[in-house]
Amino acid sequence: MEMTPETMQILAKGLTLGLSALGAGTAMIAGLGPGIGEGFCGGKAVEAIGRQPEASGAITRTMIIGDALAETTGLYALVIALLLLYANPLIGKL
Amino acid sequence: MPSALTFAAESGISVNGPLVVASFKLFGITFNLTESVIVQWFVILLLLIVVLVLTHNLKVVPETKRQAAAEMIVEFFRNTVEGSMGVKYQRHIAYFGALCCFIMINNLMGLLGLRNPTADVSVTGAFAIITFCMVQFNKGKTGKFKGFMKSFVEPLPFMLPFNIIGEFANPLALTLRLFGNMVAGMVIGSLIYFALGHFAILIPAVASLYFDIFSAVMQAYIFMMLSMSYISSADCGED
Repeated sequence: MEMTPETMQILAKGLTLGLSALGAGTAMIAGLGPGIGEGFCGGKAVEAIGRQPEASGAITRTMIIGDALAETTGLYALVIALLLLYANPLIGKL
Repeated sequence: MPSALTFAAESGISVNGPLVVASFKLFGITFNLTESVIVQWFVILLLLIVVLVLTHNLKVVPETKRQAAAEMIVEFFRNTVEGSMGVKYQRHIAYFGALCCFIMINNLMGLLGLRNPTADVSVTGAFAIITFCMVQFNKGKTGKFKGFMKSFVEPLPFMLPFNIIGEFANPLALTLRLFGNMVAGMVIGSLIYFALGHFAILIPAVASLYFDIFSAVMQAYIFMMLSMSYISSADCGED
């Protein structure tokens, strides 16, 4: 079958969009890391409060900062996924 | 032309950047007046009114609940700043109080149906750049020129490139943390509304409770705490 340039164009766009969607989904696997990190953070904070209940205020504050830092890599992945979905840089290159 | 944006809009979900209300040219550069800026003006006005009301007619011994509330807020920020930065940084109390309140009210603007100004990377970037400048200023002030230069070759000289990257990674992380959290709340909110269609009761409210209220207040606090720890750890004085 002979392919016209129009068909090629549509095929290329479809391929780019589909693979971008896959890429966005794959990027969000990075959500695992922050999940594990925040779990550790929360668990250790509970242990620390169990050992020293009077320091619970300071421990909670530190835990929140730790959570926020652990979250960063997940947010990088989220930004990449959102870029691929809503502001795709690849589609303009066709 | 079917771009990714129209493709997403056709399926019923649309996530756009902030609307450009007006744009004007100055010295050959186009400045866009976006929705974020307008909402921030509204927030500034709101904060100004609240502050004026709270600090109106203060007494040495608080008589009104209004003054007690104002003192509670000031006390909270004083304790936070002195607790994590030290008494030395008392001058920063006003700045961090303003920063935390401003970011928090900006984050809460989603509740009024407005677009969060903090779901715009240029707004959060601006906050992060202020922190970055304060970090560099504090480094220069406490260590003078020698200490400032020395901080880049510590602990060993070959760490220089890593230190420079690290210096720029902090504001980038600050920017993306606030932006990512707010935009994630926005996107997930619209996805939930889209998925539920006509049955959008209760579930969006619960999600909104987390993303619009808990996350908003938390992220403002986290932004303030991280800025404080970056600034106070940039201290390269002897003491």
